[in-house]
Amino acid sequence: MTDELDPLIHVPTRLKIVATLAALPDGDSLSFTRLQDMLGLTPGNLIIQLRKLEEADYLSTEKTRSGSAQKTTVALTSHGRKALSAYTQALRDLLGGL
Amino acid sequence: MNHTPDSAAAAGNGGKFDPRQAAALLDQATQQTRRKLAPAQPWLLTIRAVMVLAVLGACWLNVRGQHPYRGPTSAVLPFVVVFVIANFVATVTVRKRATAGVSGKSRLRPWEIIVLTLAWIAVFAVIGALAGTGVSPAIVYSLIPLTVPLILAGLAWAGINAARADWRPCGVGVGVAVVGAVGLFAGPAGAWAVVGVGLFIVLLGSAVAIVWQQRRSVVWP
Repeated sequence: MTDELDPLIHVPTRLKIVATLAALPDGDSLSFTRLQDMLGLTPGNLIIQLRKLEEADYLSTEKTRSGSAQKTTVALTSHGRKALSAYTQALRDLLGGL
Repeated sequence: MNHTPDSAAAAGNGGKFDPRQAAALLDQATQQTRRKLAPAQPWLLTIRAVMVLAVLGACWLNVRGQHPYRGPTSAVLPFVVVFVIANFVATVTVRKRATAGVSGKSRLRPWEIIVLTLAWIAVFAVIGALAGTGVSPAIVYSLIPLTVPLILAGLAWAGINAARADWRPCGVGVGVAVVGAVGLFAGPAGAWAVVGVGLFIVLLGSAVAIVWQQRRSVVWP
């Protein structure tokens, strides 16, 4: 029944990540620490999930350095937004048929 | 894109993930993010609306029997000053907390800051120009400072948000400008009541619109 759903997004943790980033206005990004704080994930788990989404070009990460501190920001790409939109439509179709 | 079914990850996240659960989680995560990252919080807008009505209403009660008009007395001015300071501190604190870690286009850009600054400079230019032409002090030092900033700052805010296609804050800007324009024709005493009630309605309307936007489902729009 769930074959139509993008397997990369159809995992609770990654769905939460993508939904959180999609709620930002287009062109905005979120710091790694704020994202982690909002989702309540461990850094290790978040990194693993982000890497999978980044490999599929669903999101982009950017590292900036100010002084000795390094800051990582995460943003959904337009490809990621389209994928979430298609996933949401697939969900609608599935649930509409139930 | 080359996707591989990630059953291990799915299992690690609770096994079989039902579409109904996915829809609920998608809505929940989206709504939670909207609430947490909103720079203008509905509860703060509601408190501000009530405070504006109370403070400007007190000013109106204070001036409505004055003949000739002298402006609010020292009995109400401390409340106005406390409100302005408390409002500024609360707004900055809440906004800073909500947008911590957020960067990108939603932040004010340099040209937008310049437009807002110019709007405020224009207020003083208008006051200065009117003072030089011998217009009544009740108008120059009470009616104009109360209403013209609302018109100019409201229009500037509406313009900036129209350029971003962000229609809720754009509507707020237009609403504030309309309140200022109506207040301008209500006379020095009546302007306090018009601006108080007008801003109360605009702020409350904005709070309702934000709550509606935040609760809107992404799965069933």
